[in-house]
Amino acid sequence: MRRFFALIVGVAILLTACNNNDDPGTIVQDPGNLNLVFENTVNGTSLDMAPTTYTNSSDETYTVNELKYIISNITLIKTDNTEYIYPVEDSYFLINEDGSKTANLSNIPADTYKGIKFGFGVDPTKYPIESGTLNFIPLAEEAGMLWTWSAGYKFLKFEGGYANATDPTNETPFLYHVGSHGANLDNYKEITLMLNEFGINSENTASKTIQFDVAKIFDSVHTLSLEEKNEIMVDPVNAPKIAENTSTAFSISE
Amino acid sequence: MKIAHYFILILFCWSCSSDSSDGDAITPTDDDTPMTVTNPLLDFTVPSNFPDATYSIAQNPPTEKGFELGKKLFYDGQLASDGVVSCGFCHIQSFSFTHHTHITSHGVDGQIGTRNAQPLHNLAFMNEFTWDGAATFLDTQPIIPITAEVEMNETVSNVISKLSADDDYPTLFAEAFGSEGVNADRLFKALSQFMVMMVSANSKFDKLERGESVTFTDEENAGMAIFDAKCASCHAGTLQTDQSYRNNGLPIDPQYNDIGRERVTGLPDDNRKFKVPSLRNIEITFPYMHDGRLGTLENVLDFYTDGMVDSPTLDDQFRRPDGTLGLDITAEEKGQLIAFLKTLTDNDFIEDRRFAEF
Ligand code: HEC
Ligand code: HEC
Repeated sequence: MRRFFALIVGVAILLTACNNNDDPGTIVQDPGNLNLVFENTVNGTSLDMAPTTYTNSSDETYTVNELKYIISNITLIKTDNTEYIYPVEDSYFLINEDGSKTANLSNIPADTYKGIKFGFGVDPTKYPIESGTLNFIPLAEEAGMLWTWSAGYKFLKFEGGYANATDPTNETPFLYHVGSHGANLDNYKEITLMLNEFGINSENTASKTIQFDVAKIFDSVHTLSLEEKNEIMVDPVNAPKIAENTSTAFSISE
Repeated sequence: MKIAHYFILILFCWSCSSDSSDGDAITPTDDDTPMTVTNPLLDFTVPSNFPDATYSIAQNPPTEKGFELGKKLFYDGQLASDGVVSCGFCHIQSFSFTHHTHITSHGVDGQIGTRNAQPLHNLAFMNEFTWDGAATFLDTQPIIPITAEVEMNETVSNVISKLSADDDYPTLFAEAFGSEGVNADRLFKALSQFMVMMVSANSKFDKLERGESVTFTDEENAGMAIFDAKCASCHAGTLQTDQSYRNNGLPIDPQYNDIGRERVTGLPDDNRKFKVPSLRNIEITFPYMHDGRLGTLENVLDFYTDGMVDSPTLDDQFRRPDGTLGLDITAEEKGQLIAFLKTLTDNDFIEDRRFAEF
């Protein structure tokens, strides 16, 4: 009897092992894709690069020449609150206003999802071999997202010019480069965005637009004035403020 | 009904097994499959007198082929823009992998760096790398020399293209990692496999610590006692470093104006602090200090007694009660200290053929 039971179990295992879409009885659907499109905006309208000017809450006008950031560690939240962690080694994306602004995720288990979690930057506590970041190095390097003197990443590279609103033609350059400071200061942030339930399966490639509000880099949890400081790099006081502000800049438009 | 189910199950089984017999066509028994190379794991053993390794050997276990690949890369000028300056150009085995014909390091086009090349030994036991801890992982440390203008002045992407186009590397990468592909992940893993194996643990000091049959001379013993009393608060433990960053009172060199650890953290409190170096093989790793300003161990000890300058971040241990700066060491004690420091030389390591370029 026991042997017969073992046989059934064995057969059942074989059955699941070769379960595929030819199997008419299965309810499991094939995995699908999700495209995350990042749209950089300023106060709700699509960002235009210099010479278009914007004004921050410190009454400074600014133009943008360069805007790049790193998105990583993408996790999808299912409607039952369980999570699907996208393979870490494939989950590093460079979003560049002058280049690619999409993160194309493939082979995601068919299911209904309601939320997206991702990292801003590269988690500095994770062992680089384990987290698969070593293969991201050439791309980050080409985009100038590595500190030249250290072995770390810039999470955000934001450059342009600014002027006082009273004299808008007299532009001075500004530069915000934010990353982690060795093991000393961690500017990596996790962002969770909830959205309307959506399905992913082989027949249904989902596409979601994530807006990144550039104005929030200056004005959100903290207010940063360019006149006070126009060059922020390895700055233990201001870099964490920019990182915090940036972590509030993402939203989903549906 | 039951029988019907059973029959379907058997059918599925059969369709499955026919799939797997397709798979049989690519098993190694087949003639036109590439010969599988044997690539045994290397034995990485933590010496019994050492602390635990900080490097995660489990994530990147050194193998014979991985190590050989790492070694070839380490000695290959292709990693630099001029095709000449290899890692081994600045890190020379006979000096425990440092460089001493120049004070600070020389790179591509004879450009001069601002710091003294560090010796490479016992890296598997370090928490952070370089004089200021700019690299938090050994696997990412080589990004710095590869990309630094004054060192190899190259890009990682370009190194990958050069290696991919090379006659030998694609095969060597495949042998080391079990599948085709030259990429950054493998490049850094191979370099780490080579460097992690560089364990220097056969000095007279080690043998004494492990209770092997050596004895210290009276002078060496006296030197060890002074070292434990005056130096080991920073140069602590078997590897002579507590791995902290400190300012030991070197006068600032206006030519470089090196701010030390502050470059990494941005904190004024870290100004002019450098990593407490391990003193392993110290006899042969001259010149000394982050910029190589001191040529001999005598110079180092004279500096510790008489050469310090004050600054806000100077380590308190160097403040004497009377307000002067430095450690109290007599001339006789200096001789004893040097005798002790020479017990840290490991000739087996600097002569180890496994790490040798030729
Ligand atoms: C031009 C000379 C030069 C070249 C070429 C060079 N290095 Fe170095 N290396 C240095 C200097 C100088 C330092 C100290 C850097 C600092 O503190 O900023 C160093 C530090 C290191 C360290 C840190 C050691 C420790 O104890 O923290 C490692 C590891 C290292 N190098 C490995 C390499 C590898 C691997 C390569 C080749 C990819 C390489 N180096 C190429 C000069 C060089
Ligand atoms: C307060 C901590 C501290 C104490 C105490 C201390 N050192 Fe150091 N030592 C350092 C630091 C930090 C450096 C690196 C400084 C630099 O390069 O800027 C260093 C560097 C050295 C070097 C040069 C190593 C190299 O690779 O270039 C030697 C040799 C040395 N110390 C020996 C000693 C001896 C011997 C004593 C005791 C008499 C001693 N130190 C006491 C912190 C200390």
